[in-house]
Amino acid sequence: MVKDWRKHILPFLPPPVQSILTALEPAAVCRVEEIRLRAGQPLILETNEGEIFLGPEGLVADPGPAYRVTREDLHQILLQMTEFSLYARDEELKRGYLALPGGHRAGFAGRVVLEQGQVKLLRDLNSINLRLAREVKGAALGLLPHVYCREKKRVRHTLIVSAPQAGKTTMLRDLARLLSDGDERSGRPGFKVGIVDERSELAGCYQGKPQLDVGMRTDVLDGCPKAEGMMMLVRSMSPQVVVTDELGRPEDVQAVEEVVNTGASVLTTAHAYNVRELIRRPSLAYLLENGLFERVIILSRRQGPGTIEMTYAGTSLAEWLQTEEGNVC
Amino acid sequence: MFVKCIGALCILSASMWWSNLQIAKLKARVQQLEAFRLGLRLLAAEVGYTATPLPRALGQVAKQTEAEGVSAFFHVVSHNLQEEKFSDAAAAWLAAVETMRGRLQLEAKDWMVLSRAAAGLGGLGRDDQLKQLAATEALLAAHAAEAAANFTGSEKMWRYLGVLSGMAVVILLL
Repeated sequence: MVKDWRKHILPFLPPPVQSILTALEPAAVCRVEEIRLRAGQPLILETNEGEIFLGPEGLVADPGPAYRVTREDLHQILLQMTEFSLYARDEELKRGYLALPGGHRAGFAGRVVLEQGQVKLLRDLNSINLRLAREVKGAALGLLPHVYCREKKRVRHTLIVSAPQAGKTTMLRDLARLLSDGDERSGRPGFKVGIVDERSELAGCYQGKPQLDVGMRTDVLDGCPKAEGMMMLVRSMSPQVVVTDELGRPEDVQAVEEVVNTGASVLTTAHAYNVRELIRRPSLAYLLENGLFERVIILSRRQGPGTIEMTYAGTSLAEWLQTEEGNVC
Repeated sequence: MFVKCIGALCILSASMWWSNLQIAKLKARVQQLEAFRLGLRLLAAEVGYTATPLPRALGQVAKQTEAEGVSAFFHVVSHNLQEEKFSDAAAAWLAAVETMRGRLQLEAKDWMVLSRAAAGLGGLGRDDQLKQLAATEALLAAHAAEAAANFTGSEKMWRYLGVLSGMAVVILLL
C-alpha cells in the first residue's frame, strides 16, 4: 500500500508546483517514485512506468508545455526544508540529501564548496530529486525463509545484493520489521533489531523519529556512520540482529566482522548487478571468502522491484562460486 | 504669590522630568544594546550546540531575553518566519528591524549594525553562521561600551541641566 506522499512533500514546494501536484490524479500519485526538479528544465515525475512531464494543466506528452523549474524555486524549496536555517541541516547537506517527514528524502546537486578537500557546503543548487519512500509491508515475506532459520530460531548473516532501485532497501526495511515484530502463529519470536541508518533511508527518521515501520523491538541509530554505529549499537543496545544498508567501505566490513563475533546476526545490502561484480570489490570479497555471510540474495526488478533472482547458501567463497557457475551468466 | 510658587514648582518639575527622560533614554540604549548582545549569544548557543532552526531558536531567545523591546524584536523575527510571509530569514529580520525601529532607544548606527546581521542569516553553514553572529555581537559590544560611556558622562549634565533650565525659566518669568 503506497501512502499519499503529497501531505508531506507539498508544504516544501513553491505554489505553482504545489498546485500542479495537487491536481494530479490519484492513480498517477501512486505510481510516482521520484520528482525531478532541475533549474530551467521541465518538471518531471519518475514513475514505475517511466517519465511523466507535468505542466500547469496536468500531464503533458512532451517537455515543451511542461512547467519550467526556476532556480528561485529550488532555493525556496531548500529554505523551506531547512526551516530557513541551512546550518541546522548542514551535516546532511554535505552528504547531498535531506530527510523529510514521511520517510521521504530530497537529494541535491549544485556547486560544492570545499574546505581542506572536504565538502563544506552545497550552494547554487541546480537540481533537486525528491525520492519518495515506498513502504511495502509484506514485501520481504518471500525472503524470510532464507533469512530466518526456523530450526535454530536464529537469523542468518545475510547480504542482499542488487542494482540501484531494485528494492534492496524496501526489502531490508521489511525484513527488519518482520524479524522485530515476530509472528506468534508461526512461532517466530520477535528479535531485538538494531538499525544503523547512515542516510536515513531505512527507517526514514525525521527529527530522530522513524517515519517508516521498522518493528516494535527496533532501535534506530540515525545519521551515524555505519562502522561506528554498528559498534555503538552492540555496546549499548545488545541487538540480536544488526541491520545496515549499502556496505562497501573497508571500515564497514571490519565492523561487520566484529559484530558477527559478538554473536549478533547481520543483515545488510550491497550495490552490484551480480555475483561476479560483487566479488570484484575486495572488501566484500574478503567477507565472502571468510564465509561470513550464510546467505547472499540477488534481487532485480525483472518482475518489479524486489524480484528474487537467486539465493546462495554456503560459508565459503569457493563453495559459493561453485553454485554460482551453474546459475549465473 | 501662592499661585506663582505652584507655577514655579510645575516648571521645575517639568524640566526635571524632561531631563530624567533624556537620562532614561541614554540608559535604555545601553540596556537594549546589552540585551541584543545577550540575545545574539543565546542565538549562537542555539545554533552551535543544538542546531535549532531559526524560527524555534529565535522564539527561545525571545523567551529568555528580559528587555521587553528586544524580546519583542526576536519574537517578531520568529513570527515572521513561522508565518512564511518572507522569502528568507534575512527579509524576515529586516522587516523586524523596520517594525521595531520606533519602539527602541537605539540610534541609527545601532540599527545599521542590526540590519547588517541579516546578511547570510540562515543561509550559512554552522561555523560561518556562528562567526557572523559573533561579528555582530562584537560590533554591538563596541556600541554598548560607547553608549555606557556616553551615559556616565551625560547623566550629571542632564540632571543639572534639568534643574538649572527650570530655575532659569522661573527666574525669567518672575
